[in-house]
Amino acid sequence: MTGILTSGLEQGLVFSFMVLGVFITFRVLDFPDLTVDGSIVTGAAVTAMLLTNGWSPALATATGALAGFVAGTITGVLHVLLKSGSDATNYGPKLLAGILTMTALYSLNLRIMGFGTSATARSNVPLLGEPTLIESIENLLSIELTTWRLIAALAILALVVKLVLDWFLHTEVGLSMQATGDNEQMIKALGVNTTIVRIAGLGLANGLVALSGALVAQTQGFADIGMGIGTIVAGLAGVIIGEVLFGSRSVTWVLFSVIGGSVAYRLLIAGALRVEQIDPTDLRLLTAILVVIALAAPTVRRKVVRM
Amino acid sequence: MNAPPAEQPQHRPDNDGLLVTKMRKAFFPGTPNEVVALDRVDLLVHPGDFVTIIGSNGAGKSTLLNAIAGTFPVDRGSIIIAGRNVTREAEHTRARLVGRVFQDPRAGTAPSMSIEENLSMAMLRGQRRGLRRGVNGSRRREIQDQLSLLGMSLEDRVTAEVAKLSGGQRQAVSLLMATIAEPRLLLLDEHTAALDPKVAQTIMDLTGKIVMEKRLTTLMVTHNMELALRWGNRLVMMHQGRIVLDVGQEEKSGLEVADLVAKFHQVAGENLVVDRMLLD
Repeated sequence: MTGILTSGLEQGLVFSFMVLGVFITFRVLDFPDLTVDGSIVTGAAVTAMLLTNGWSPALATATGALAGFVAGTITGVLHVLLKSGSDATNYGPKLLAGILTMTALYSLNLRIMGFGTSATARSNVPLLGEPTLIESIENLLSIELTTWRLIAALAILALVVKLVLDWFLHTEVGLSMQATGDNEQMIKALGVNTTIVRIAGLGLANGLVALSGALVAQTQGFADIGMGIGTIVAGLAGVIIGEVLFGSRSVTWVLFSVIGGSVAYRLLIAGALRVEQIDPTDLRLLTAILVVIALAAPTVRRKVVRM
Repeated sequence: MNAPPAEQPQHRPDNDGLLVTKMRKAFFPGTPNEVVALDRVDLLVHPGDFVTIIGSNGAGKSTLLNAIAGTFPVDRGSIIIAGRNVTREAEHTRARLVGRVFQDPRAGTAPSMSIEENLSMAMLRGQRRGLRRGVNGSRRREIQDQLSLLGMSLEDRVTAEVAKLSGGQRQAVSLLMATIAEPRLLLLDEHTAALDPKVAQTIMDLTGKIVMEKRLTTLMVTHNMELALRWGNRLVMMHQGRIVLDVGQEEKSGLEVADLVAKFHQVAGENLVVDRMLLD
């Protein structure tokens, strides 16, 4: 039972940055961004590659996140090139821009992981024996990061990121970002270049996603090209579960809810995997079903009430 | 309906009004569906003028406002607002000079954000936005002062989501957002047409009050000829993308709806039958 709890908590917190990123694209910018399946690997790949090349873990992690930021801005630029007209509810170009970046990142991530080795491309970078952020923290505080201490450290990092996001979304620029997703025409009419704001927001979101990737690589001990598959659905699951369980009364509050949703989702998955009939390979099917149930529940409830 | 402000507006010396010259805009150009929405429109609006614009459906009223605001580029001609040639400027760049209120009360506000967040964003019209707090103490006080002028008790609900407001309240907030930073030009596009009559009158009264107090150069498009006569100090009638009638304060004050209809038929000429149907 503790196994479920600790692994759920750890995973939930490691992936909470990704879920915050998905929250920013889906909810704040109203931009269903599929880049994340690629950018989470980019964060892991860049960080792992830099670690094996002797970079300090903190710098490698930050650079991994920065690479995700760049990937997000590329999706933003592609969206500008692909869209015609200014209909904010036209999701086609938004989806396509994300899919294109995600696809391109697949090749790029293989290259990144092969960088500095004899191979041009690699699908996997093991971090065995490489110092990671975990060792950095252990050295810094002269303690051993046991399971619970690691969870505490991740919780503190999640809290710090949450507070920074909360502050940012309430600045003048942050309000413009919120308004870009809420009523683009209106904030444009107030003199905001929503194109730039959207590109920056996509960068910010994918930077967070890549930060998760960097942390995943360091906690599980490797970066892998397959680790990104289904990220967007898992992120959406975290956002929706968080909103349903903990509410979304204000931006300040919903940022907490979303982190809680990430943890709840991973606890649910960790629990489900204990069921004998469920195999780890079923995980993405389960997640998809979970998202469908969460999204369809309000509609079904309305229809049932009407009958 | 309340009497319109009769006083002659005082011209703001630091404001050069609006000058539209030989403006042309065609939609679907080069196709069989080509529509010339604006055809060599010339319009000089003095600072502080409150111009009402009428015309049948498709006359080009809304297209004129959209062209001035920069929703789309025009094919020919120039637009000068407050002495600045904005013809080639993007919509968001012109926004520093132009405030707008649309027919749909939902168009002018961000629904899931609070009243004070909406108004704070509006106070920064055309300014550089930075990493300072969006809603701060001094902005909140100013917002509450301005909201209290609406007489809707919204000043006690500044943290409420705009989506929770009624259509009239939302349009009042939109009006305040369009005017709070005192734009050089205010564009009203049938902004009371979607409201029920009593609320529409409240919003129109507020509009008149704000325009007078801030001496805003204003263009108001309306379908309602009575409104067009009652408000403002100048009346413009459009037809098929052109300005066909332009009367000043003096002549306008002697006009009635019946006169306008007659004028309209006179200038509309051969299209009289079609347009009478539209006007009725």
